Amino acid sequence: MPSSPDEYLDELEARTIFILREAFSCVTPLAMLWSIGKDSTALLWMVRKAFLGEVPFPVVLLDTGMEFQEVYAFRDMLVQAWQLPVANELCPPESSVDQTLPTAARHAARKTAGLRALIEREGYRGIILGIRRDEQAIRAKERIFSPRNADGSWDPRSQPPELWDYFPYEVPDGAHVRIHPLLHWTELDIWRYTLREGIPYVPLYLAREGKRYRSLGESNITFPIASQADTVEKIVAELEVTREPERAGRAMDRETEDAFERLRTSGYM
Amino acid sequence: MKQLRIVMVGDVDAGKSTILGRLLVDIGQVTPERLAELESSSAKRGVPIEYSFLLDAFQVERDQAITLDISRVWVRTPDAEFVFVDAPGHRELIRNLLSGASEVDAPVMVVAADEGITQQTRRQALFLQWFGFREILVAINKLDLAADPRTAFEQRTAEVRAFLAQLGIVPLAIVPVAARGGDNVVDRGALTAWWDGPTLLQALGGISRREARADGPLRFVVQDVYRRDGGRVIVGRVESGTLERGEPLVFWPLQTGARVTRIVDWPGEIARVPAGRAAAIELDARVFVDRGAVASRASDAPELGHVLRARIVWLGAEPVRVGETLRLRLGTREIPVTLQRIDEIVDPDTLEPREGERIASGDVAVVTLVARETIAADVAVEGSSLARFVLARGGAIVAGGMVEAVVGLARGEGATNVVAMTSSVDADERARRNGHGGGVFWLTGLPSAGKSTVAMAVQRMLFERGRHVYVLDGDTLRTTLNVDLGFNDEDRAENVRRTAAVAGTFADAGMIVLCALISPFADDRALARAAYPRSFFEIHVACDLATAERRDVKGHYERARRGELQRFTGVSSPYEVPEAPDLRIDTAASGVDECASRLLEFIEAKVVLAPTVAR
Repeated sequence: MPSSPDEYLDELEARTIFILREAFSCVTPLAMLWSIGKDSTALLWMVRKAFLGEVPFPVVLLDTGMEFQEVYAFRDMLVQAWQLPVANELCPPESSVDQTLPTAARHAARKTAGLRALIEREGYRGIILGIRRDEQAIRAKERIFSPRNADGSWDPRSQPPELWDYFPYEVPDGAHVRIHPLLHWTELDIWRYTLREGIPYVPLYLAREGKRYRSLGESNITFPIASQADTVEKIVAELEVTREPERAGRAMDRETEDAFERLRTSGYM
Repeated sequence: MKQLRIVMVGDVDAGKSTILGRLLVDIGQVTPERLAELESSSAKRGVPIEYSFLLDAFQVERDQAITLDISRVWVRTPDAEFVFVDAPGHRELIRNLLSGASEVDAPVMVVAADEGITQQTRRQALFLQWFGFREILVAINKLDLAADPRTAFEQRTAEVRAFLAQLGIVPLAIVPVAARGGDNVVDRGALTAWWDGPTLLQALGGISRREARADGPLRFVVQDVYRRDGGRVIVGRVESGTLERGEPLVFWPLQTGARVTRIVDWPGEIARVPAGRAAAIELDARVFVDRGAVASRASDAPELGHVLRARIVWLGAEPVRVGETLRLRLGTREIPVTLQRIDEIVDPDTLEPREGERIASGDVAVVTLVARETIAADVAVEGSSLARFVLARGGAIVAGGMVEAVVGLARGEGATNVVAMTSSVDADERARRNGHGGGVFWLTGLPSAGKSTVAMAVQRMLFERGRHVYVLDGDTLRTTLNVDLGFNDEDRAENVRRTAAVAGTFADAGMIVLCALISPFADDRALARAAYPRSFFEIHVACDLATAERRDVKGHYERARRGELQRFTGVSSPYEVPEAPDLRIDTAASGVDECASRLLEFIEAKVVLAPTVAR
């Protein structure tokens, strides 16, 4: 058993670095999605560790134009500070997506369409994503290397086996593999790690006037939670006792019982 | 605070998801709103409150009340943080169970009191044993369905103990539960009032973590080589032992040695890396190291050989038969291996070994695999990642395996009282001086297929590029070295053996050797490969019989047709077409130049030292 929480974080970090290096060695061309949230920012931090200070693939923001102003400002600051090879991918308008989806889910569908367009245009065979299994019950079923069909869709009912750290990285032409190096982390792990490493984060995560954002999505479909946590230490303490799910403030997950399953199988992150 | 990863196994109806759902609720981790949601979800489907809905996320799972893929649930208690992996119980989803089990510390086996040990449970227990779990926790569930819970529990306990003993597994604890009502899950309950042992949650807290072995032999698995500031940094993971700065390492299977001068821990550097951590190192010598290599100390090297005996679980939809070539992935190494023999298949019902011709999905079998290259592996070293592997077919993982023995060809066969001299100059040194390594490129095909023509053309091209190259031509050798041999099967085999031995020696001396030999039999060609396995490539010079016969460069076909030549390949003696050659070139479909160019490109890719991967 790790004798300290630090050792546990070291273990999580080591696995992430191993996965990143496997992806880089075995899947080309490769890109990473950066939502600018706490998870993918912590992941970027580990990318720099894995590749000894460099970020050897493009870092893409799927931009709906609806992110919070603070998010855009944070992006610009970090791109400068870390010298990131960043690309902004504008997503198609709402009118172009499946109108039978509930309102908030349509925003997600825009991102899905934006991602599909990006992959088609650039021919990426691997997309690195900072999702975690504990975020949401459907994501809990994900594999670390998750093959997608040519249209980006996911067939969770026939996923390939993933034994130990042997990942299926061969990709048929036209298809791609989603790579999830943070799958084994929890929300609490991410904040403990952010605190320990001193990783920058969007200030919206900290409480102001009794409210903070626990999960960041588009500004019109994401809502803050009641919280007094105005430092990362307090966020960690809050999460150690909370019973509320992380994505409680994300409207897209909850519009219908199967909303998120539909989003994910059609290719959402 | 300890972090534990647990996999739940048991038959499809044993109540695994219900136990986890109940655990979440009773520990107070579910909000009142979520409980209300659960009630409405359950009511919608006309069932009483269904705790498993807390885990089963897919619409179809809720509709059919089963778990499809792996679910995971996080449980936090004051003493521990648990991740439970809930794996499906159906036979066809065994790949999910194995995926789930490969990442955990211990399994919890759930047995329904009314059903006992089912065939499904037996099969799963067999997988757990195969994985190397020697301690498991058992929950006897559904005691609420028993007329006398205590007697039912005691009966099942005796059964479970006897069954697990057959597999060499010791139950860490066997606890009674009635998950639907929550008895003895987190809190004690009326149904289990007679029980003075631990609750399920207490028993879970007694599980210990499976960790990378810091006290094991050093194994540093190389993932890649990055170029940084003009130098090379070798990146990978320390799988066991501790990697220290200043230490001399040996890289396998090429057996190159160098000392660690620096361990990079961006943005700084460190002096040592413990087991389980990522490492990035610099060496004091420019030895050839790339992805797939593994480093150890000279004193505790991994086992080396070409033949693996292993216990596998087959997951592929299509069965595998003797003779099929698959890709072995061991550490970061990836090489072709052929299934040479099925030693035994374990019957999941009786646990007795039986014989078989094919291994089907879900079977556990002991097999012999033969590789073309030297394999560096660990044998039954607990937790060593070099002791376990996967097999891939067309990119898809189709089996997991545990190494039971590694056999070297040199040790197993041939003259046992002759010890080969170790050369004072090794192949890597020669390769560095020449700019390319040696290798045997074995061109096989029908008479008049164009083997010698292509070989001669490629020899010229390689020579022009400054490569050290030589052609060993079958017909020419039959006038010198092999002048005493005829064309019966035995002599053909000897012809191949001698030619291969000469070719191997030339290759070891640093030459690129092109052998142009009909070599009609697959067995003989396999033997040829064994003469220089570290760099041997089978090239099939394909040509249909009609075209070859039309060419008939030496007039042999005509004579064979007239009956003047006996045992002439293609006419009166068979030619066994290579099933999986390293390269196939078709001289009937393309011209000599095109065939030669393709072969040239292939050879260059195999032997020329790339400037180390620049990233």
